[in-house]
Amino acid sequence: MIRYSFITILLLLASFVVQQFLPAFTGMHQSRIMLIQLVFLCSAVTVGPPTMLLLAFIGGFFWDAHCALGPHGGAPEVYTQQVESLRFGYSILLFGAMGFLMQGIQPLFKQGKWQFSAFLSGIAIFLYLAAEYAIINFIRGDFMLSKATVMQMLFTSLLTMLFSPLVFWLLFHIAKTCDHSINPDARRKRRLAR
Amino acid sequence: MKPLNLTALLLFLGGAVWLFTQSERAVREVQDLYFSAMSPFLKSGSKMETQARAFLHETRHSKELEVELETVRGELGRLRIIESRYRELELENERFRHALDYKKATHFDVVPAQVIRRQPTTWWQTVDIDAGQERGIGTQLAVLSNEGLVGKIDRIYKDQNRSSVLLLTDEKCQVSARVEGSPEVGILSGQRGRFDGNPLLRLRFLSIDAALRPGLRVFTTGRGGIFQPNILLGTIDSVEKGALDSEALVRPSVNFADLGTVFVVLSADP
Repeated sequence: MIRYSFITILLLLASFVVQQFLPAFTGMHQSRIMLIQLVFLCSAVTVGPPTMLLLAFIGGFFWDAHCALGPHGGAPEVYTQQVESLRFGYSILLFGAMGFLMQGIQPLFKQGKWQFSAFLSGIAIFLYLAAEYAIINFIRGDFMLSKATVMQMLFTSLLTMLFSPLVFWLLFHIAKTCDHSINPDARRKRRLAR
Repeated sequence: MKPLNLTALLLFLGGAVWLFTQSERAVREVQDLYFSAMSPFLKSGSKMETQARAFLHETRHSKELEVELETVRGELGRLRIIESRYRELELENERFRHALDYKKATHFDVVPAQVIRRQPTTWWQTVDIDAGQERGIGTQLAVLSNEGLVGKIDRIYKDQNRSSVLLLTDEKCQVSARVEGSPEVGILSGQRGRFDGNPLLRLRFLSIDAALRPGLRVFTTGRGGIFQPNILLGTIDSVEKGALDSEALVRPSVNFADLGTVFVVLSADP
């Protein structure tokens, strides 16, 4: 269990490296594969709440380090209405919220129905992006939602969801290597069937 | 809730709140550490992205590129001749200024750079360029292309010879702007949630009876301490009258979808 948790943390860190090789698809409304969030969401359903929260903290922390913009700059007497930035650390809370959402269907995952989790990971990515965009609107004022933004969120969620079976396959493989069961109910069922 | 889960949740919330209270400087230090660790992967990632884009571009426009290359070669020769003449004139001008006891020296020092990565984050309009601290670049410097203002330097990647440019199309990149042939002055910035192609910019805080017509050019005023004056920003597309002020939509002069070479202004006359 500890070995498995440790490896999921390493996997999450490795996803930051792989993310650098995944550019935005300019032809698809600037959508992208959000591998870091996907690895976190898939891992979140396979671990307990304390490990999930640790993963959320690490994921959110480094994601904010990756994304945070610098200060506005310029003379404040000219730029009187400066555009607010999101506080460093907000992603940690978003990761945590999405992690709890994934944990909601953990009983199904434990029964071996990982397909539900794969589908939910897509929904969770969409919700994550929607929440992030809503926070930006809330902080900066003037709610604006263009068709392009909705399409970007939709395509990003779909693209990312397509890769969730691959991440689950990887997690099952890691669990097997660590001699740890991430879907014990399904295992028990299989044993009884034999 | 189990005591272990509750403890974990409290620690998690405590950690998040602690991070919220961190200063801008501390955040920058964390970012520097993160990008230092990511340095080799950032380089490889950018290289791969650049190669992929070049390949796609080449396959799509190989014939066009041949014609363009010929044109550019001709243009380069012409510009070399003009440049040599310009240097002579600059020297001559300097001599005259010296003779007239002018205190101010003319200089406009720029560093050319290539765009190596486009939009590395979800919501912010940024690009990475292959020039950094080693070439004298610092934050909050203006970035131009031959078409006009591109944006400003937002972040320097320490010891990596690269930096991040916040594009003019981002909501956070605000520029003090004026409209040619009119007394109108306002703040120009990108619009939230507009990512596709070449989005329109919004010029705010114009007077309520602003007499502007489509096609008028918009330039920087030079106020605000970041951007030099008289840099072309775009042209007026339409004007929206409000209750207290007017706003104009501005078509940017730079084609942001096809950014290649840019120039970072190190120093210039005010």
